[in-house]
Amino acid sequence: MLILLPILLLILTALTLVILRLARPTFKYSWLIASGGAILALIAVFLWQLRLPQTLALPAWQLQAFFFYSPTWLADSVSWPYALSLTALALAIILTSVVRAKVNPMAWAGMFMLTALGLLAVTAENPLTLVLAWTALDLMELVSMLLSVESEEQSEGVVVAFAARLAGTGLVIWASILSVTSGTWLSFSNVPARAGIYFLLASGLRLGVLPLHLPYRHENTLRRGFGSSLRLVSAASSLVLLARIPASAVNTSLTPYLLTLAALAALYAGWMWLRASDELTGRPYWLLGMASLAVAASLRANPTGSIAWGVALLLGGGYLFLNSARQRSLIWLSLFALWGLTALPFSLTASGWSMHSTYSGGAQISALFWILFLPAQALLLAGYFRHSSNVGETSLESQPPWVKVIYPLGLLLLPLSQVLLGLWGWEGARQVGVWWAALTALALGAGLAWLSTKVLTRLTSSDATSRWGDVLRLNWLYRGAWGMYRSLGQVSQVITSTLEGDGGVIWSFIILLLALSLLIPGIR
Amino acid sequence: MSAALIWIFLPFGLALILGPLRNERLTAGLASGASFILALTAWLLPLDTAIRAGTFSLKIASSLEILGRYLILNSADRPLLTLIYATTCFWFTAAAAIKMAQRLIPLGLGITALLVASLAVEPFLYAALLIEMAVLLAVPLLSPPDHAPARGLFRFLIFQTLAMPFILFSGWLLTGIEANPGDLALVMQAAVLLGLGFTFLLAIFPFNTWIPLLTEEAPPYSAGFILWTFPTTALLFALGFLDRYSWLRTAPQLPNILIIAGLLMVLSGGLLAAFQRHLGRLLGYAVIVEGGFSLLALSLSGTTGLNLFFLLLIPRVFSLGIWSFSISILKEHSPSLRFSEVKGLMRTLPFAAAGALLAHMSLAGVPLLAGFPIRQALWEGLARQSFGVAFGVLIGSLGLLIGLIRSLAVLCMVPESRRWEARESWPERIFLTLGALALIILGLFPQWATPLLVRLPSVFEHLGQ
Repeated sequence: MLILLPILLLILTALTLVILRLARPTFKYSWLIASGGAILALIAVFLWQLRLPQTLALPAWQLQAFFFYSPTWLADSVSWPYALSLTALALAIILTSVVRAKVNPMAWAGMFMLTALGLLAVTAENPLTLVLAWTALDLMELVSMLLSVESEEQSEGVVVAFAARLAGTGLVIWASILSVTSGTWLSFSNVPARAGIYFLLASGLRLGVLPLHLPYRHENTLRRGFGSSLRLVSAASSLVLLARIPASAVNTSLTPYLLTLAALAALYAGWMWLRASDELTGRPYWLLGMASLAVAASLRANPTGSIAWGVALLLGGGYLFLNSARQRSLIWLSLFALWGLTALPFSLTASGWSMHSTYSGGAQISALFWILFLPAQALLLAGYFRHSSNVGETSLESQPPWVKVIYPLGLLLLPLSQVLLGLWGWEGARQVGVWWAALTALALGAGLAWLSTKVLTRLTSSDATSRWGDVLRLNWLYRGAWGMYRSLGQVSQVITSTLEGDGGVIWSFIILLLALSLLIPGIR
Repeated sequence: MSAALIWIFLPFGLALILGPLRNERLTAGLASGASFILALTAWLLPLDTAIRAGTFSLKIASSLEILGRYLILNSADRPLLTLIYATTCFWFTAAAAIKMAQRLIPLGLGITALLVASLAVEPFLYAALLIEMAVLLAVPLLSPPDHAPARGLFRFLIFQTLAMPFILFSGWLLTGIEANPGDLALVMQAAVLLGLGFTFLLAIFPFNTWIPLLTEEAPPYSAGFILWTFPTTALLFALGFLDRYSWLRTAPQLPNILIIAGLLMVLSGGLLAAFQRHLGRLLGYAVIVEGGFSLLALSLSGTTGLNLFFLLLIPRVFSLGIWSFSISILKEHSPSLRFSEVKGLMRTLPFAAAGALLAHMSLAGVPLLAGFPIRQALWEGLARQSFGVAFGVLIGSLGLLIGLIRSLAVLCMVPESRRWEARESWPERIFLTLGALALIILGLFPQWATPLLVRLPSVFEHLGQ
């Protein structure tokens, strides 16, 4: 029952906020209720540590002859870091909202519901539970985004994102069917090698990494709190799957190609993140870049490494996206957050570059791997430094004294969670890691950060750059697929108009006779 | 008192009484109340057993003789009657919200009574005639009085009528087989004729063109009702044949024939749905895919197939009802349901657009919605038998999903900076909200529908064992 506690607390807080908003629109203590609910939810997640692992199952879907699974949730060393990150993020959003002029309790309620759904996703014990939680999140994201878009292009992006997520969900269902054909009932504790790669593709597709796609490239950047929660919770729900893929399930001939695709996505995202005018404009690239590193870790049979990059995406990204009011004296907080992303010994991402002993593809691709992925990490680090040293939207110095206390506390919560998770988050988190790779990436990142302050500000977007962007974003591939779809549409149009036209009945009989002449000898 | 009097003649009589009524709410209230009571009595009242209340005693006889023919509804049929009248109640309750009650209910109740009679009649060959009568009764329902009948209606009439002689003739041959079971030539002839009859009746490809045409041309809610009642009755009628004739039931070719027919329907419906540009036609293709799923469920061995067949029904009726209800509202506010005409309607009719999309998702097997658990079970069941069939079924479902994504893209496209508003009436909003909740609840707790469905296989004495 402890699993349910934070989820219930978040839902209860959301409902309270909605009811108060509708019944008493002038109610002044919504923030207190919201922060109280978020603090209690965070404590409830800490309470999971009293008994790990623990499961919670809904009543079985009868008839048992058909339904081998029922929705079940599991709190264990994989789900706990993600759950802690999500609840910490929710609390940080509420605490940092004190600096923002326009705060809406309804947006907080939405954010709490999202976090609750995110918790249901990251604690999913089997693929069935995961796809249910994914769909709930996808529908919520779809509605939220459709309510906020203002142009045809934006609404198209929302639909494309929804379609990609649905395709990812479909891949998990496909994996479960494949598993059944080999006589195994799919669960996270028993992933056949044949099905594991589909989990990875599903997660990669939902994250926009495999293949590279960015439906929210021009998203509405106004909403720091709810917008960040929407993006990060959704990413967390997909990232958790990477950590559930056993090392044996990714050892396929496809792995080097998938790694190359992930590397391209990481490099492209890193470059765009570094070049972005601010952290909110660059948010989609941050998510893509860090998710690519998580996918790469999983591809290298290092599921715990994917947790490291995944949690860093949430906490590091959350810190930067919520940091709207800046003060020179708080720069140490940003450096503290940055440390968690460096993969240095005993940092949050120290296990990010480790490699599983059973992984056999390392020898062939290791050189290429480092050449591609270390610059990608460096670009992400440099971009992080660049955006965190910007002046920000407002200054903290002009805020009332109580805000000057609450706001940094909200921000501090996220780097503190990074430290905590880096040391005790999951089995294998606390380690030296591949220190030389971390140092290389850090040095490269420092150089890029310096260059970015000198050169990048003078760079303007050229036609050549946008053409390369098109190539890397695989727009040519999507245009080709669209062209093929249109051609098939014309074929379907011919079939439909023939069968439904004036001669349609005759055509139907001819087809029937043809089918009978083919089938009857076979039946005999 | 006989069961046929309660569940056939009473609703038929009520249909005649409701015909001249001009009050939407009264018509809907009376018809849905009556359907609810009929469903409840079917659920509660035992047949052929005396019910005593003090000195009062009542026994409902299962059989009624009319001119040497019988209408038999026995105790095993009660779950089926409950399902039929409960779903009829659902359709009629919602009809008033979109001002379809006067048009749909009298004819709909008559059609339901005739179709129940077709399942009860002995000799069962008369069922073909009763189905044909129901088809004729559907004509005024599908063709508005001020419009000339369109192509879809003609096709519906032609193909359903063509089914009748084939089934009657095969029935005649089947009586010969009963007398002389060793005559293989006769068995072959009967099987081919029966197959042809059901090809027309079940709208198996390529005789399914009337379905998308009908959903394009006819009022969507009436079309939805017809596309729920007729294919379901036809499938039950087909099950009756299988149950009755052991040579048919045990024919080694039967599973393959069911798989081929089912796969054809799923693939043709799904793939063509992927390229449609009309919300009504998409509903039609989804119905074709549903028919295919039913046949594929029956192809699974043992009682598994029959159980899955019945489990498919509840999500189907909810999804079809909500989908056709939603697009009826959209059609009211738009010249047609073509994609070019419904662009951006989500901003002005958000409940209706969401209802149509959720129902579409449910029938496409999207998780969290009513259609998913059963489809998942069916996919896995098929995968255990044949990977190729499971793959084909997934391709068909993918086609439906592509249709869904395109509908979503069109409905939420914002041609100009249009504000959000909700133009639906309150009853429409309430019905759609309840419908969406029902789809989600059944998606999360499919076991809540099993008390009704678990007894249904016993309707078929041999198949259900």
